Amino acid sequence: MLEIRDLDFAFGRKPIYRNLNLAIPSGQVVLVTGINGAGKSTLLRLVAGVLKPARGTISLDPRLGRDPRAKIGFISDRLSLYESLRVDQLIRLHLSLFHVEQFDDSLIRHTRIGLRQRIKELSIGQRTILHLALILSPKPDLLLIDEVIHDLDAYLRRLFLDEIIRQLSEREMTVIMVNVNFHDIESLVDRVVMLRDGEIAVDESIESLKQKVKKIVSREEQTRLPVLFQREYSDRREYVVYPFDERSLDGVQGDVVDLNLNDIVAAFIAGEYA
Amino acid sequence: MSPGSRPLELAVDPKSAVPVYEQIKRAIKMDILSGHLSDGDALMSIRELATKLQVNPNTILKSYYQLEVDGFVVSRPGAGYYVRVDRKKFHQERRHSFVRETAEYLSRITEIGYSVQEAISELERQLEIARSKGG
Repeated sequence: MLEIRDLDFAFGRKPIYRNLNLAIPSGQVVLVTGINGAGKSTLLRLVAGVLKPARGTISLDPRLGRDPRAKIGFISDRLSLYESLRVDQLIRLHLSLFHVEQFDDSLIRHTRIGLRQRIKELSIGQRTILHLALILSPKPDLLLIDEVIHDLDAYLRRLFLDEIIRQLSEREMTVIMVNVNFHDIESLVDRVVMLRDGEIAVDESIESLKQKVKKIVSREEQTRLPVLFQREYSDRREYVVYPFDERSLDGVQGDVVDLNLNDIVAAFIAGEYA
Repeated sequence: MSPGSRPLELAVDPKSAVPVYEQIKRAIKMDILSGHLSDGDALMSIRELATKLQVNPNTILKSYYQLEVDGFVVSRPGAGYYVRVDRKKFHQERRHSFVRETAEYLSRITEIGYSVQEAISELERQLEIARSKGG
């Protein structure tokens, strides 16, 4: 269990979180999302120990041992690899830093990354996948993923997701992801947390989220629905509704449409900008 | 083909309101009911199926666990999951699937404006065609 209790944090005078509470059981895969500036990346950096809370506590699973930071894999959006090193040198450096016996090359084996290449010769996608391989090689119990996987093409994303799935099936690994592109990670996620103004606006399991967020397409204007976001077309109106409830449909002429995670998050975010 | 290597013809629809574990469970039940999987066959390992479908291994575990509770598979520690059907459950589920499929079919055709009576006539007409082809 990862537990964040009564957390306050600010950048100078700009408050980011006030009294944030969040508990994540071991082995859960959580997607954290919200508009830009909602504090998503900051949350990961606090959990990773890169930033310190002004008040409150972040307690990591006691099973992570006396040096829990060693069991955290943090894939930050600020990748920095040593440009002039060769790939094999970087791997050796990383292994010795993390006391890992052997580098698991399953992730980079099929990527045309040469061990003798310099880091600066790699493409952005290759650098990212190498970085992921390095982070995953100590077999972290807590994996924090910032938006980096946007840099991967479809093939490298698939390799990366396969590797995450492999590790999830081998041990209990908790994963917290920030705002990654949703279409191919949707079925990996157990839970969705949306941040708004430093607070948790939505915290639902993926299954209940899908039950509670629906699109209603109607010819008439609807005024009694709890609307997150709406759009008008010449012949119809579309309402994304939360929380959806069959009973709230009384007297509503329209069709109810299921949404995927991408549509759901987009509706929440659009609602915030409105 | 070795046990468990049979490719499961199954794709999950993340957009569906039916939870992913439920979609997987239903698909495997259909495979069992239709005889594509029978007693003693191994299910794909959790990791293999999770990778194939790109879903969380916990989701697969949940589907397999429920299939076990429902009396369709058994788990052998360290060896994976195997089909073992409780005959009574099998017939209940078969009936249940038939009713559900029929209800879904009727709801789709009434949606496009046909009546149940028209559906029955069409079924009879198709039955005639099948009979005449069968000789």
